[in-house]
Amino acid sequence: MIGEGGGSDAFASLAHALGTAFKESTGEAWPDDVFDRWAQRVFAYQFDTNPVYAAYVRKRGVTPSTVLGWSEIPWVPASAFRAVPLVSGDSSRVQRVFRTSGTTDAGRRGEHHVLDLGLYRDSLIPNMRRHLYAGRAGGPDRPDGEGPIFPILALAPAPARVPESSLSFMLGAALDGLSGGKGGFFVTEDGVIDMVGLSDALVEAAAHGTPILLAGTAFAFVHWLEWLQARNGGFDLPPGSLIMETGGFKGRSRVLERTEFYASLSERHGVPLGAIVNEYGMTELLSQFYDGPNVATSDMTLEARRHVAPPWVRTRVLDPNTLSALPIGEPGLLCHYDLANAGSVMVVLTEDLGVAVDDGFRVLGRAQGSEPRGCSLAMDDLLSGVPS
Amino acid sequence: MRTTFDACRLPSFSSESPTGPPTLAWETIDVSEGVAVRYPAWPGDAAERLLEVLREAGARLADVPVRDLVTCVGRVADRFLDPSDLIRHRAIDLLVPTAGLSKEMASEILTGMARDWTAERLTELLRRELQDPGVLDGFCRLDEGRSVRAKGPLLTFHVGAGTVPGVSVTSMIRALLVKSAVLLKPGLRDVVLPVLFAEALAEEAPELSDAMAVTYWPGGSSPLEGLALQRAEAVVAYGGNEAIRSLRTRTPVTARFIAYHHRVSVGLVGREALTAERAPRVAQMVARAVSMFDQRGCVSAHAIYLEEGGAVAPGEWAALLASAMADLEAELPGGELTAADASAVHQMRGSAELREASGKGVRVFRADESFWTVILEDEMGFTHSCLNRVVSLFPTSDLGAVVGSLGELRSYLQTVAVEGADDRLPMLAEALCRAGATRVTTFEKAPWPPPWWHHDGDSVFAGLIRWIDLEEIG
Repeated sequence: MIGEGGGSDAFASLAHALGTAFKESTGEAWPDDVFDRWAQRVFAYQFDTNPVYAAYVRKRGVTPSTVLGWSEIPWVPASAFRAVPLVSGDSSRVQRVFRTSGTTDAGRRGEHHVLDLGLYRDSLIPNMRRHLYAGRAGGPDRPDGEGPIFPILALAPAPARVPESSLSFMLGAALDGLSGGKGGFFVTEDGVIDMVGLSDALVEAAAHGTPILLAGTAFAFVHWLEWLQARNGGFDLPPGSLIMETGGFKGRSRVLERTEFYASLSERHGVPLGAIVNEYGMTELLSQFYDGPNVATSDMTLEARRHVAPPWVRTRVLDPNTLSALPIGEPGLLCHYDLANAGSVMVVLTEDLGVAVDDGFRVLGRAQGSEPRGCSLAMDDLLSGVPS
Repeated sequence: MRTTFDACRLPSFSSESPTGPPTLAWETIDVSEGVAVRYPAWPGDAAERLLEVLREAGARLADVPVRDLVTCVGRVADRFLDPSDLIRHRAIDLLVPTAGLSKEMASEILTGMARDWTAERLTELLRRELQDPGVLDGFCRLDEGRSVRAKGPLLTFHVGAGTVPGVSVTSMIRALLVKSAVLLKPGLRDVVLPVLFAEALAEEAPELSDAMAVTYWPGGSSPLEGLALQRAEAVVAYGGNEAIRSLRTRTPVTARFIAYHHRVSVGLVGREALTAERAPRVAQMVARAVSMFDQRGCVSAHAIYLEEGGAVAPGEWAALLASAMADLEAELPGGELTAADASAVHQMRGSAELREASGKGVRVFRADESFWTVILEDEMGFTHSCLNRVVSLFPTSDLGAVVGSLGELRSYLQTVAVEGADDRLPMLAEALCRAGATRVTTFEKAPWPPPWWHHDGDSVFAGLIRWIDLEEIG
């Protein structure tokens, strides 16, 4: 498998093989050797086709032949997506550039250059199906017999309006691929929520009685809840419905504890807490993690929840000082190995703190100090710096 | 082994009530793996009592001659400097896990800080700032027809930042010298020195015991904070812009408010310093200036501007600096970082290495086992360091042009260390003044400004004291 050459055909065949493996997976974790074979194959491909990453890796004294296991494959920091284009393959064939929302560093936004949106779809669809669609009853059957259809109402802009948003792309793909085209988007590209439109859609869903998936950013949900609260209103979702929220608040909205947030969602939409799922994802990764009921081993209390990866992703928790892997239970930085990132860089070290548990991890938050930073300057406080 | 440190030193309350200090409930917060900090919660009534005791002690301080204050503080400083004194060892042992410093760096910082608390340095400070320190004890004749007296606040409330240990103690000492009682809320990572200092000073000078309280609480969380802002006659605050803004808006208009907000410092290396002979020594001085306090000080340089055209090219000098950073890491190792600080280094350094790998002309020199990083940029600009010994180098054809563009940083610019500007220094200093800098110095002196420096542009006692003019009558 090693040394497939750098051509775009190499990527096409790798992406095809990966996509097939993703789609055929049952959702159960792959044995170590299976994941390892895939990871080494992707690494060898990226080493061959991504000269920037290859030079970076070589500086660390690493090549595909020195890597004995997937965990030795060098990571890039998430912020690197802000610094240089990271493309493994022919950059003239990039199909889409997703951009981060730019909430951390003023100025530069992270860019994920995606060579194959099909591979992204092949990763997100089976994962969403497993966590948000499977095992639920009450919807009309799909023509292909793959379970019932649940409309998706998205508190996010439509993908056509915000082609740079990987989240909108994902929700659009779910609407087409899992919800039978039923549902809609209720946020404009400028971030304005169509409160009336969403209200109407929720009334209609209630009348219909079909369970739905209400999905969106936590940020948008906060505004939606404030709007409902101001009117002392709410919309009970049909039984069997789920809410998926993502993204955290990132300081752009008032601080709302997750407990309070979920209690409010539960109350205003008449769903149990267990029907509210967090999606942990980032523009820099083409796979996502969920903490929903389909992976709950015990209960759905917030304390007991953990995020679970699809079989094609492994996550290590690293000691922030030494970067060595930490045992279960010790908090550190989350580092993801995502095979769906075959066209960019597979291993991404995040700024998120988390702790490993049995078959997943808990996200503890951003690795940011709580104390004032003294007389040294925080990144966000300055305008743009010195022009050249 | 895990230690718990009580981030609290209180007056005895003996003068006020025979029952002694109020009973307080304690809370605990983890600072690092090695140490937790315990601090009392301050319900409103206990807070009122504390502030009353402090204000009364502040009133009594007016009768203590300033010379005695200097002597007592100086004796404590001597103890902190004495390698055989247990207090020094205790301080260093506790600084390592609380401040996140290596033992060597903790020792270096303690020495540097305590040196400025000695009687000799304090006497010099008072002389330079007030000419006749006797104005703190009584009216002194100033000129024809006028006597003056300098009076400090009854009570100053100090809020520390916690980035560099010892800064809060310096702040306390300045208030005590002008005979003000002190309430200090230190930053979480600077709790050790103020508590040890106040304890030791109370031993040396029992009459000062009731005039000092040091007690930690997470900012904004205690009723004592709001009450202290109301009762203090002066507030001295170090911290991030948000913290300063919050304190400022809650301070009464009649109280003095002295703030040290975020600052950045930079360095300039002129071509005259980039000769084969001078360049290695300059690299050593820059390495020390950048690494001292693990770069967490307001005086710590984030970026160095390197003038092209010297015998040693920027790329060669960057390698010299890297080698000096490595040497210094061995001499004064970096400390254990918080997850946030360590993460920031991984992100900044990794991104720079990918820019290097993209062939743009950026070069990265870094440690494998520690955090120091030298990033040689390929175009002019300014980058904030993520701190902890990560410095960016910007080559430039002309130092003068850099100074002009530094004006963009003017609200934040503090120390500018200069080497190799030689004849151009007067011109550069004037330009730096106009660009907003408040201190131009050498790399060698940059980490350790003298006690009488105009910190962020102000005189040491100007904000604290009130001058009283006594005009001759009749």
